[in-house]
Amino acid sequence: MPQVSMIPEPCRIVAVTAQNSRDIHFVVEAPKRGFTPEPGQFVMVSLPGIGEAPFSLAALPGEGAAAGTFEMLIRRIGRLTNLITQQKAGDVLYVRGPYGRRVEWDQFEDTNLLLLAGGLGLAPLRSFVRRALSRRDRFKRIDLLVGARSPDELLFRTDLLVWASRQDDVHVHLTVDAAREGWDGRIGVITSLLDGLALDSAGTVAFLCGPPVMYRHCLRRLLAMGLYEHNLWLTLERRMKCGLGLCGNCQMDGHYLCCEGPLVSWREVRHLREVV
Amino acid sequence: MDNEIYRLPRERLDALIGRLARDYRVVGPVKHGATWIWTDVRPGVPLALDYPTTMLPPRQFFAPMRETLFRYHRGDDGRFAFEEPASERPVALVGVHSCDLTSLRVLRAFHESSCRDRLVPGRLDRSFVVGLACWSPCLPESFCRDMGSLENESPASLYVYDIGSVLLLKVQTARGREILRDVGSLDAATPDELVALRKRLRARAESFPAHLQFAPEKLATSLKAAESDILWDATADRCLSCGRCNLVCPTCTCFDVCDQASLGGGDGSRVRSWTGCQVPGFSRVAGGHDFRPTRTQQLRYRIFRKGKYMPERHGVVGCTGCGRCATHCPTHISIREIFLQVGRAP
Repeated sequence: MPQVSMIPEPCRIVAVTAQNSRDIHFVVEAPKRGFTPEPGQFVMVSLPGIGEAPFSLAALPGEGAAAGTFEMLIRRIGRLTNLITQQKAGDVLYVRGPYGRRVEWDQFEDTNLLLLAGGLGLAPLRSFVRRALSRRDRFKRIDLLVGARSPDELLFRTDLLVWASRQDDVHVHLTVDAAREGWDGRIGVITSLLDGLALDSAGTVAFLCGPPVMYRHCLRRLLAMGLYEHNLWLTLERRMKCGLGLCGNCQMDGHYLCCEGPLVSWREVRHLREVV
Repeated sequence: MDNEIYRLPRERLDALIGRLARDYRVVGPVKHGATWIWTDVRPGVPLALDYPTTMLPPRQFFAPMRETLFRYHRGDDGRFAFEEPASERPVALVGVHSCDLTSLRVLRAFHESSCRDRLVPGRLDRSFVVGLACWSPCLPESFCRDMGSLENESPASLYVYDIGSVLLLKVQTARGREILRDVGSLDAATPDELVALRKRLRARAESFPAHLQFAPEKLATSLKAAESDILWDATADRCLSCGRCNLVCPTCTCFDVCDQASLGGGDGSRVRSWTGCQVPGFSRVAGGHDFRPTRTQQLRYRIFRKGKYMPERHGVVGCTGCGRCATHCPTHISIREIFLQVGRAP
């Protein structure tokens, strides 16, 4: 086993776009050393002197992001993200990774894909949508369910518009918890989007990412609809400090989420405590 | 090598330390006020071979309490450059009790079977360990015999039995023999001394009362049946979340990572430092959600990690029975008492 360095690589920011006052979309040059992430993996991003944190990938190199770059959505929520989101194109972020489990996509072929994204959960699931669309002929029907607190908080609107215009490829369903006048879409929690869906429950694979409360309700609902436990995939969130299965911060029971996750199937983790 | 037992007159201990100092940073138990600590020793420093135990475990030399992962420096182009610290002098520990020897095996098992670390196993590989037999429990809370660590004599290149009149030194590795050769000629233990040693080893078991009524391997199964919150609430209610149990534990491995910047901000270090699952915020994520927010969950997690998750994932029980956590707990939460209770359950 080689010693794995925690030294990051300087990666230039290619573009920065504010999606709203606190969610900032970054396009970043990928690390040079073997950066071939799979959907669901994550990177550790730092600014020396400020700190380091894990971030999911909103687009992978050559698959939604231009070759040699990757994308992240970073919410301004603490000291580190405040400073990262002040960086501009041409500035440098310090990146190491990708970390986490590589889930083989062959197993999802010839199934229906159902993606449920709550709030910021759309960021990692965006790379799943991009992956699916890049190999569109290998999957059957694709549904993307997106929930946000309000219309203003809907993320990746350009993508949502583009995808919504490609009805044959992906069915986009939106809902918001509350809206002012002018929103003619649906109002309600994300599970309400499942009401109108006629799913082939045995042949559907679901990917979920959102706040813990969303997992709890969606899991119950999807299981009741007859989806198999091994077909329910969650991307979980923990505050990894190393990414190497050492620091213990992401441990759930005997599982290290930085190695055996963050993308896990419900069958693998349902017997563990403190999952969602 | 079992028969390679030599007499080491006490005054020759300095010669051994002097020999080790040529190749290693030598540390041992030394009296420090009312307590004993692991610290650097050299010939002439009185090594407290009669020490009960130390508060901080030997893991401090393999996964230090604070350790620089790398230094960073901002160059003229504004970019940071990184530099890993130079490799340090390997360490020789003289006088490691059996429970702490066991903890070194646990640390190795953890790091070698966890995803990919060579830092700690590398230090263990380069180190030299002199073990030391115990004759009586060092703390009221210790239960090393129950956890199977009292009899453990590895990993130690040399193992010392203090039989009063003289130290008996057992050679356990080729490296141990090599070091000893340089110390000068030593007489083999006399038949009388070997008989005395065997007697003491036989009598030892009686001075260590048996606390648990089951083998440590059974813990995982017993704990599995003891998941319910109500079994943990009363004990957890006493927990102050101070994290002392984590810090004094010889097998705890969790760490935090933070940057220590110079005042100018242009250079500094990224440092990893001990933290633990009992410390508030350990399981908190960005935005404030905590996946293990209650003391009941946290206490159960700590005990389960030692007794269930470590055996299942790393093949070793995570508790050596050293008794440090209970001894230093401000509200006397005793892991031995908890093990006893879960083991008793039908």
